[in-house]
Amino acid sequence: MTLTCEKVIEKDNKKGDIMSGRVIVITSGKGGVGKTTTNANIGTALAKAGKKVVMIDTDLGLRNLDLLLGLENRIVYTIVDVVEERCKLKQALVKDKKNPNLCLLAAAQTRDKTAVTEEQLKDICEELKKDFDFILVDCPAGIEQGFQNAVAGASEAIVVTTPEMSAVRDADRIIGLLEAREEIKSYKLLLNRVRPNMIKSNDMMSVEDVVEILSAQLIGIIPEDTGIITSTNKGEPIVNDEKSLAGQAYRNVARRIIGEDVPFLDLEEETGVVAKVKKFFAGLIGKEKQ
Amino acid sequence: MKDIFTDLYNKVLGFFRQTEKQEESAKEVACNRLKFVLMQDRTNLTPELMDRMRKELIELLSRYVEMDKEALELGFEQEGNQMALMLSIPVLRAREEAEIEATLAEEDAKKAEAENVSESDTEETENTEETQEESPEESVEIVEEADTNSSEDTDDEAAQDEEGKKLSSKKKAKTVKD
Repeated sequence: MTLTCEKVIEKDNKKGDIMSGRVIVITSGKGGVGKTTTNANIGTALAKAGKKVVMIDTDLGLRNLDLLLGLENRIVYTIVDVVEERCKLKQALVKDKKNPNLCLLAAAQTRDKTAVTEEQLKDICEELKKDFDFILVDCPAGIEQGFQNAVAGASEAIVVTTPEMSAVRDADRIIGLLEAREEIKSYKLLLNRVRPNMIKSNDMMSVEDVVEILSAQLIGIIPEDTGIITSTNKGEPIVNDEKSLAGQAYRNVARRIIGEDVPFLDLEEETGVVAKVKKFFAGLIGKEKQ
Repeated sequence: MKDIFTDLYNKVLGFFRQTEKQEESAKEVACNRLKFVLMQDRTNLTPELMDRMRKELIELLSRYVEMDKEALELGFEQEGNQMALMLSIPVLRAREEAEIEATLAEEDAKKAEAENVSESDTEETENTEETQEESPEESVEIVEEADTNSSEDTDDEAAQDEEGKKLSSKKKAKTVKD
């Protein structure tokens, strides 16, 4: 696993001049690869880094971002209420429990994808650009209207995939669709649920394989982590867990988005008792630094 | 005595070939299958269409050069962000100028004939479309050998699809004999 992120950084730096109001859509094509988890974690990590972040859940009828953030009880208005002018945009923004820099614009659970149009989403993004550094748009699975809506207001995209055939194939399709859209200036690949042990035994496609097949720039490699399930259960993004490797990987993604040069984690070392002890100490050192 | 050795040799060889096959890991299978399926997704070309394109190319190029039809390779390759259609043709022999001209003249004559037929008909547009579609079959002489084996080819190709190893398939069509 010897990947450098020079190329990724190059492109980020070009955009570094305009630090505010970046609209990034997080998409995947296939469902269940970790779009919403990625959204919640990158958003939280960016907010922890001092950026003003708003997340828009565009998965109308199947909203989940609120659950991952533990905000499900605080939602009063949704994006549909904004569009149908039952409330002002700012009223609909739900503030995070811990971080005042972080907001959520929730999806409506009782409506379908046609309740909001591309134009309306574009307008909402434009409006939010004025007040936030980052607008993260959580895209529904599929390539239909929900996808088209989510992409409409964005100028950057993160394509989430896993090293599985079906996920890579769908990611390829999504990349094709993103390339066809002029407003998307750049897209990057986030490889989720990577299992170093399976890669080592040649039972799973490696990071390099996926990058080569999709020929896309990589922005993050997230290891498979059971902690994701517990963090979802608690409604607390895993980036808040300093010990978690997946959390570390997500924090690194956030730093790369900001424009920092962060090397990719070496996941292959994470096996055996010795490695576990090492990891334990590394965790301690990590804590001391902060 | 000699037979025993050749038998042993074949057995040993067979053993290694078997283990080689077994060594193809899940990861390799996944990569190969994915590359194949993505080629189809990206180009909207099914194996049948690829086969047809291959045949039409052979037919066209045979007018100008005599090539090894069996070894002709056609497939998509990825070069960075760009997809490239790669065609590799081993040339057996250059055709004589007169030979080429004769073939072309023959083709032209056929075309003219086809046009005359379509002009005489009332439904002009429909007919030109038809003749265009039929033309590869009409000029059977040139690709005869490839065509006679077509059923065998598709079987062969289907088997290779399963393996997902190659984008373009090699055919069992007979090579042109001088």
